[in-house]
Formats: sequence, C-alpha cells, structure tokens
Amino acid sequence: MQMLHPMPDAPMPKPKRAPLVTAQGLTVDMPLGRGAANVRIVDNIDFSIGVGERVALVGESGSGKSLTARALMRLDRLARLSGRIDFDGTDLLKLPEREMTRYRGDSIAMVFQDPMSFLDPLMTIGDQVAETLRIRGVGRTEARKRALAVLDELGVDRAAERLDSYPHEFSGGMRQRVVLAMALVGEPRLLIADEPTTALDVRVQDQVLDLLDDVSTRRGLAVLFITHDLGVVAGFAERVMVMYSGRIVEDGEVETVFARPKHPYTRGLIKAVPRIDQDLHKLYAIPGAPPPPLARPSGCPFHPRCSEAFDRCRSELPVVLDVAGERVACHLHDPLRA
Amino acid sequence: MTAPAISAPAARPRLNFSAFEIFVIGLVVLLLAIAIFGPLVAPNSVYNSDIANSLMPPSADHWFGTDDQGRDVFWRLIVGAQTTLLSAFLVVTLYSIIGVTIATVAAAGPRWLDEGLMRMTDIGLALPGMVVALGFAAAMGPSLQSAVIAMAITGWPITARMLRGIMRQTMEAQFVAGAQVLGVSRWRLMTRHVLPNSLDVLIVKWAGDIGTTVLVLASLSFIGVGAQPPSAEWGATIASARGFVSTAWWTVVAPGAAVAITSIAFGLLGDIIQVRRDPSLRGN
Amino acid sequence: MLLTIDRICKSYAAFPNPPARVLHEVSFGVNHGEALGLVGESGSGKSTIAKCLLALTRPEEGSITYDGIDVVNARGEDLRRFRREVQMVFQDPYGSLNPRMTAEDLIGEGLLVHGIARNSVERRSRVAEMMEMVGLNPDDMDRYPRSFSGGQRQRIAIARALVIRPRILVCDEPVAALDVSVQAQVINLLQDMQRKLNLAIIFVAHDLAVVRHLCENIVVLHKGKVVERGSREQIFGNPQNPYTQSLLAAVPVPDPALGRARREARHAAQAAG
Repeated sequence: MQMLHPMPDAPMPKPKRAPLVTAQGLTVDMPLGRGAANVRIVDNIDFSIGVGERVALVGESGSGKSLTARALMRLDRLARLSGRIDFDGTDLLKLPEREMTRYRGDSIAMVFQDPMSFLDPLMTIGDQVAETLRIRGVGRTEARKRALAVLDELGVDRAAERLDSYPHEFSGGMRQRVVLAMALVGEPRLLIADEPTTALDVRVQDQVLDLLDDVSTRRGLAVLFITHDLGVVAGFAERVMVMYSGRIVEDGEVETVFARPKHPYTRGLIKAVPRIDQDLHKLYAIPGAPPPPLARPSGCPFHPRCSEAFDRCRSELPVVLDVAGERVACHLHDPLRA
Repeated sequence: MTAPAISAPAARPRLNFSAFEIFVIGLVVLLLAIAIFGPLVAPNSVYNSDIANSLMPPSADHWFGTDDQGRDVFWRLIVGAQTTLLSAFLVVTLYSIIGVTIATVAAAGPRWLDEGLMRMTDIGLALPGMVVALGFAAAMGPSLQSAVIAMAITGWPITARMLRGIMRQTMEAQFVAGAQVLGVSRWRLMTRHVLPNSLDVLIVKWAGDIGTTVLVLASLSFIGVGAQPPSAEWGATIASARGFVSTAWWTVVAPGAAVAITSIAFGLLGDIIQVRRDPSLRGN
Repeated sequence: MLLTIDRICKSYAAFPNPPARVLHEVSFGVNHGEALGLVGESGSGKSTIAKCLLALTRPEEGSITYDGIDVVNARGEDLRRFRREVQMVFQDPYGSLNPRMTAEDLIGEGLLVHGIARNSVERRSRVAEMMEMVGLNPDDMDRYPRSFSGGQRQRIAIARALVIRPRILVCDEPVAALDVSVQAQVINLLQDMQRKLNLAIIFVAHDLAVVRHLCENIVVLHKGKVVERGSREQIFGNPQNPYTQSLLAAVPVPDPALGRARREARHAAQAAG
C-alpha cells in the first residue's frame, strides 16, 4: 500500500533568529506548453529564513531550486503556486498582484546569474539603479543621491563620475555590483541571489561574495543564495538546504551538514566534488542522473541512485524528520524503520 | 557493466494541429491532387470548341459556366492547375538548386571566391524577374518556357544570399569544428554537417515561394508574355477572357480566384512551417 | 616530447583599434600519456591555445610540433596523421554534436573518414564497443543527440574522439556545463580512458580543483602569457607567482571551517590595512 505523506513533516526547529520568511507546503506546478497538463516541479516543501540569515539553496537540474526562489517573489506568471509563504506576518500567496508588486524591490529583491541580460544597454547605470525608487514615487534628485550612495557602498570606484556611464563600459564584476545596487537601493530585507557568481572568474567571484558578506552583515540583510557550488556554500552560508527532484532532502547548519551529512545524496555530492586542498584518488560519482520532473521515480526520488536504498524507499516518499538539529528526508533516519 | 538504455523516446511534443492548420494543409493537398490527377479525370470535351454553347453562365451542367470557346470553365481550371503548379514547382526547384550550389561554393571556398560570387549575386538581385521575362519573350518569342527560364534565372540570388549567410553562421558551430578536427573532408563537412543544418529557413521560404511564383507566372501569361492560349494555364485563361469581363464575369473570376487561393494557401503553408519551427513567432 | 609549442603569438583584429594581442610567446610541451592542465581566467587565451593546438587557427609567430610534424604548415599525409592522432572534446554538450546525426553516425564518423573499419558491420561493432567503454548502452546508437542528457552527450563526444585511438586529447572545459554529480562521472571516465589508452590529455579549464585532480603538470596563463608552470605539487603546494597565489587563494573550498577562517583573516587584514 502506497502511503504518501502519512505524517506531517517534523515541525521546524526553533531558529536562532526571528523568522523573516516561512514557507509551508509550497508547491509549484508549471504548464508544459500548448495547453498541456501541469507538471509538479516543487513538491510540498517547508523552509524558513531568519532575519539577517544567510541560507544557501543547493541542487542540480530538476531540483526546483530556481523555481522555489522565484516563487518567493511570484515571478513566474505561468506557475501555479499553492501552500503558504509567510513574510513577516503576511501570506504572499494570498496577495493580489498589485500588492505583491510593492513587496518586490522593497522587501524582497533578486539578482540573477547574467548581469548583462538584466541591464538595459541603453540606459545609464545611474538611471537604472534609481529606477527602483522612481517607480515608488521618490523624486529625481533624492533617487539619484541614494543610487550614488549604494553604488559607493558596493565599492564601485568613482561612482559619482560613472553614474552616467552605460553598462557596456563596465567589466563583468562591476556589472554584477550595479545589478546588486539596483536590488539593494530599495532597502530590502531579503535578497535572493540566483547563481550570481557562476559566470564570473574565480577572483571576481571571491570579491563579489566578500561584498555580499559585508552588505549582509552591515544591513542585517537576509540572503537566499542559490548555487550548485559547494565551496561557495561553505564560504558564504550559515545554513544550507539541499534540494533534489522538488523536495528538500537536507536542511541544517553548514558546519553540521558538511561534517556529518545525513542524506545519501548530500554525502554523494560532497564526495563528488574535487578539492583544491586535497588529493583524492578517485571521485565518488553518484551513478545515473537527476530525473526530469516528468519522470520522477516512485517513493523517494533519489532511490534509483542511492546505494543504501531499501524496500520502503521505492514505495514511500520520506517525510522530513528532525535529526540531530537538522531536518532530513530519508527513511534511513526513521527510528520506526520498517 | 552496461549502462541502462534510454527507456522511452525523449518526450517529443505531441503534434496536435489546430483547425486552421488542418484547413490550410488540406487545401494544399487538394490543390496538389488536382494538379496531379486533374487532366486524367477531365472529360475530353475540355479541349474541343463548342461555339454553340459559348459564354453560358454557371449551371448544373457547367458549374462555372463556359468560356468563349464553349469549353467548361470548371474543368479547364482543373486541367490548367497542372500546368500552373507544375511550372511553379519547376521554377522554384531550378532556382533552389542554383542558389544552393552557389551558396555552398561561396561559403566553403576561399574569401575571394565568396566575395566574387556575392557580387554576382548582388547584380542578380538587381534584375527583377518580370522585366527579364519580358526581355526573353521579346528575344525568344513569348511562351511558358521562356517565362519559366526567366523566373528561374532571376530567382536564385535571394536563395543564394540567405543560405550563404546561414551557412557561414552554422560553420561557427562547435560541431563543425569537431568534424574538422576529426579530419572530415571539406566536401563531407559541407554536405553532411553544414548544409543539412542550414536548410530549415529556406524550406519555409520555398513553400511560400510556390505561391508567389504561381501569381507571377499567371501575371506574365496575362500580359501575354508567358503561356499562350489555348493553354489552360490560369493566367492565359484570364487573358483570353479579358474581353468578356462585363458580359461573362465567370470566365475571369474563376481562374482569378484559383490563382489567389493557391498563392495564399502556399503562403500560409510557409507561415505554418515557420511557426512550428520557432514558436516564438506565433501571433505574427 | 610528443607535442611542443614554441613561442606562439596571436592577435585578433579590433578595428578601429590596433589588433589585440591574445597570446604572447606561449611555450610548453606534453609527453606521451601525460595529463597537462592549462589554467587561466577569461581572457587568458587558453581557448585560443586549444584552437591553435588543434590546427583550427594559425598563430602568427612561433611553431607547434607534433611528433615531428610542423602542425601550422601541415599538409597531405602529415595533416591526415595529425588529424587522426590529436582529438578534442569541447565544453558545450548541446552544440558540439550535429543534431541531425545519430549516435552511431557521430561515433563512427572518424572510422569512416580515416578508413579504419572496412565495412559498416565492422564499424557498427566498433561503435558498440566504444559506447560500452564510455558507459553508454549500444542499444541507443540509433538515437539522436536530443534523446540524451548532457552527461551522456559528453560521453558521445568522448567516444567520437577516442574511437580512432588518438594519442592526445585536447579538452576545453569538458565538464563545466554539467551537473556536479555528472561532472564526477565524466572526470572519472577521462581518467580511466587516459590510463587504458595511454592517452596524453591537455585539459583547458578555469576550475582549479578539477585540474588538480586530473593533471600531473600545470601551466598557468594570465592575459596571454605563461606566468608559471610546474608539477601539481609545485603549483598547488608552493606557488611562486603572485598571480597564481591570488588565483589559488580565491578558490572556494567545501569546508566551512576553512571558509570562516579565510573570512576572518580578510576582515583582520582590512581592519589593519
């Protein structure tokens, strides 16, 4: 007998800080195109981000990490969202579109992987950074002043002179700072960063991460950092959530997850990554590949690739359990193991 | 240990056709069927004069009436379809072959050859088909053949230009570099790798071109430079019926409508292929 | 030395500005069966070097010698041999395979071009053998690239390159576009193939951790110049050049304690400086 969600997931452990965003039962379905049925990309997840907390969201293709982040801002018109996203007392999923726009840029902001596709090549950077404020009715002079202040804060040299320059006059790292400035000028409380450094050279990546670290500490800004790079996670985040095939499989403090990973997928990922400071004889390669959302395996989506899978894994979706301060979705950790 | 085989074919998008697409495709198929089988089923009376019955309006016996020679207009249209469509296909095929050859040589060859051929193409682009057709008619005497040749030799420049541009782009693709590194000969590189991946856009163009060519050929016949009466080619039919527009409108309207419908149908076919290739163009 | 490049220079036209120098007197060599890493950031010229090594583009100055053949000016029989013995795998699993050829066509093309397998039956069996070697199922050989995942496409690309048994494989970021768990599979595959076939590999990449794992010797490039070269132990254990040092210091490590230590060291330096 197949049991889906037989028990509710374990309640989230009391966070160290006051929660800023709490998602409960978040599900994201996307249409396949041409009026076809929706496919479930994100499957009933719970998570929370505290005030000023730096959380990394890790996953591979098909994990649903990008859609989860975008759901927090309701960016995808076509996505069908259900569940609840509580932002400081308000359920974002119940807001009418008009009110949701007030949250975007104001309370929650986002930066993406490729800064160039986000910047209008025909507008000066000063105008683009100020635009977020202008839309909210801030006057020209005031907006420009604040744009300059934030560009300065982010380390753009000679910002005052360059306010009237165009994006193509800047290097990749500088453009990313401009994009960050656009996101931060409205003083948001949560910044979602979707692979912001993936396309950057390693030294520039280092600078940008440093910058984010600085800004986050100084402003008390919460950051949700989406990445596939475990090194970046270890260097930047306080907490990490690992997603696989639409589910959160592990969620805990970075030190704990890296030192004692509890989910076989997390363990596999950590062993699969080559390291610059160690000689590894052979990399552990998780066999197979992440499943496409259309062809999700029954039971635990990871079971076909899991060396520790047993009968129950093939038929029953694991619920999220409380294990030594972390949240883990794996039957191995169920004390009532069948 | 062998890897597991890919179990099912990758999710190919289901090919559901909209009502509009079915209509257009059905129409094109019908036209082609008429062109191929028309003359086989037409009664012999189509080729004979029957002056007694000339210029009769549409009736149960003659669905589109009769023309000035007493021939059934409907069946003449059916028979004429073969001439018209066949000529159009011939024209497009001819200039496509010329265009593809020139484009391939230009894209594959050294810079100077490419430049030279493209300058030739530019000159070719400057010559409008109809004007050349008039010239040919003057030189060789007007006929369907002279019109077809004229259209074929003025139609290739656009194909050549478009295809050469696309091929140059395709040649930048990594799989082409990979084939080069593998040691693939220039010839095989162009024919097996570059060309097959460059023809997509051209196919859309050629489908629509059949439609425009039908129209142009009919126009040439109409002004007396293409097919000559008593050919059942639609343009020629309209030409011979010109004098009877006010008294026997059906002799002009029927072939005119045939030309219009055919060129629109093929044009829409081109659009459908284009939209299916690249759904982002929907709504154009 | 199996392959040597000697002081090659290359520029690109940048009209109306003067031509931009991409490579300045780059020299290095590769031995039989050696895995050499070419590392650098964007603009370092490493991809241009790969193109020169594969005779896809010509350097303006300098020479490239493969087993006695002058690669830059190679013709006829020499060029044919070069093309058989030096192969490549590139980064983009989606652009590097002709979408209109089946896996069998793709993997078997080298056999056809170099007249290795006499008839199509023999070709097919060699293709099947190669597919097994790289971890693909021969039953899939009639499928087109679009049916395969990114990792599988890279395997096809590797099979295509190795079926003709080259002596050098030039890889330009072959795993950068793949998922982490799949990267490890392809990296292991490359290592395996290298050992089995005594293949020399020139691995062009920006990911230093992967290079450290695969390559026994490394050449570090910065803005078209070689700034340091050495063995794995030398480069990663005791880098001499300041650029190399800054590069290594910037690479993130999947170890939170290290990450935190780095951050604190940086804050201390900032507070002091």
